[in-house]
Amino acid sequence: MSAEATTQVAQIAKRKGLPESRLAKVFLAPSVIVMALVALFPVVYAAVMSFALYIGRTQQGVGLANYAQALTDNRFWAAVIATFVFTIASVAFEFLIGLGFALIMNQAFRGRGLTRATILIPWVIPTVIAGTMWQYMFNVTPGTMNFFLPFAPASFNWLGQPGWAMFSIVFADVWKTAPFVALLLLAGLQTIPIEVYESARVDGATAWQRLIRITLPLLKPAILVALLFRTTEALRVFDLPYVMTNGQFGTTTLSILVQEFVVQAANPGYASALSTLTFAIVLGIGVIFVSMLGRDLVLGTQEA
Amino acid sequence: MAGLTPASGAQGAVERRTTAQRIGKGLLLAVIVLWCLLPFAWLIITSLKQGDAALNNPNPLVGPFGLGNYASVFGAGFAYNLRNSMIVAGTTTIICVAVGSLAAYALVRLPLKGKVVILGAVLAVSLYPPIALVPPLYEVWRSIGLLNTYPGLYIPYTAFTLPITIFVLTTFFAAIPPDMEEAAKVDGATPLQAFWRVVVPLAAPGIFAAAILVFVYSWNEFLLASVFTPRDLAAQTVTVAIANFPGAVQFQVPLGSVTAASVVTTIPMILMALIFQRRIVSGLMAGSVKG
Repeated sequence: MSAEATTQVAQIAKRKGLPESRLAKVFLAPSVIVMALVALFPVVYAAVMSFALYIGRTQQGVGLANYAQALTDNRFWAAVIATFVFTIASVAFEFLIGLGFALIMNQAFRGRGLTRATILIPWVIPTVIAGTMWQYMFNVTPGTMNFFLPFAPASFNWLGQPGWAMFSIVFADVWKTAPFVALLLLAGLQTIPIEVYESARVDGATAWQRLIRITLPLLKPAILVALLFRTTEALRVFDLPYVMTNGQFGTTTLSILVQEFVVQAANPGYASALSTLTFAIVLGIGVIFVSMLGRDLVLGTQEA
Repeated sequence: MAGLTPASGAQGAVERRTTAQRIGKGLLLAVIVLWCLLPFAWLIITSLKQGDAALNNPNPLVGPFGLGNYASVFGAGFAYNLRNSMIVAGTTTIICVAVGSLAAYALVRLPLKGKVVILGAVLAVSLYPPIALVPPLYEVWRSIGLLNTYPGLYIPYTAFTLPITIFVLTTFFAAIPPDMEEAAKVDGATPLQAFWRVVVPLAAPGIFAAAILVFVYSWNEFLLASVFTPRDLAAQTVTVAIANFPGAVQFQVPLGSVTAASVVTTIPMILMALIFQRRIVSGLMAGSVKG
């Protein structure tokens, strides 16, 4: 667009009343208001509440006492560990299986349409339903998993013992989300030009060398995006432990713990301190990922 | 692949697909398809089983089969839950796409200071753990009477889906050549008209993709729905109903009802996923590239 046209547009905009910079603010206002009221306000309000002790309807400022209580509470640290175990295990398996699926789908020609269609099914099933479904399958009655797994005794209680309870939740999450990771990575794979592989092949690179030396480095941005998405989601996991084990047997994650102090043992000050700590952890890890991704990726295709 | 370069001898040998290779790849694809479909097939088969004896038998093929579970699910008022989810998810989608597309347009095209800060704030909102919203919002909703209402759900859903909407739409808007709106403006259109008449129609696929993502999120949401609309058929959504299905007798596992309700809830979503597959994938990509 020429400079002449720019001035022309500016003149027209002036003539039409509302200048573009004002319009920008008007356009942005509804989104900012909704997000500020419903997301920013609770963050601040929760932080304020976290400095108070609630006895019935009355409150009393207690400074950092709620945080001191949280940081010396074994249940908080158990929840931190459970959350990190869940996050590391589920994201690692989702990444490996998702990468495998993506590589298979990128290779195959026949049957690709069918696979692409079915791969969205686990993603679109509500997490509560996926959790309920796997809970029944792992449960002793009807005992679907024990029926199909030849090495499992019929009475093996997956959900009723530490370790295996977490395993079952990770399993359900990996089932639901690995296909989603595969889709993200497949899109990344398709941006890698075929010529790179052709020349590597001519130079005698093996399939393994091509994967390690070409695919993974070129796929790095897509991998980081997928890991950012999955890690921040996994750190906030609630639905799966809630429906599958109700937080029993070492599956009380941070979100489950907060919910317990909100709903069951109503203690708004302590619950707010816990939720503020959870937010700080998720945000901190998110910021680390975003700084790895770089500013340009957040800004994307913007001309600015 | 083969057609791209003139195959030299060595390359031709590498690229020739033997039957064994083709079968191997087919088997690998079959693994993916089975991974996605088998558990859902179990869900459908279980929902069709009649009576405790059949439901408690781990063998999926042991009957009798019938539609009894579906009848009892709808007898328990599940149609109301479906209606509530439709209204909540539909309203969220409409508000979110309308509000979010204006914001995305402002961020992509209009002169604005501090775009990086705004996008950073939007990203922070998308990282916010919903559980942290529960204590303060519950207090506010109770005092202004929004518990057990539709707005009590679609307002927070809108806030939580605005980030993905804005990220998806900025990508789609940025892909539209600016010349087209500039031409419209030279012809005398206001910026608002240029947006409405030129940009929105051109970005329709992206807007549609964002709408699907928002709808899926709202339809599937459980945490806020379970706290804000606990036991009230007037606003309770499908996910809350399924998590709270009572057994016919205490301590009885309501396997039949839950699986039937799950199938009813999931089938429309799966059909949508199959029909709009390309749109959803492009929306997910656009959203993910932005982080």
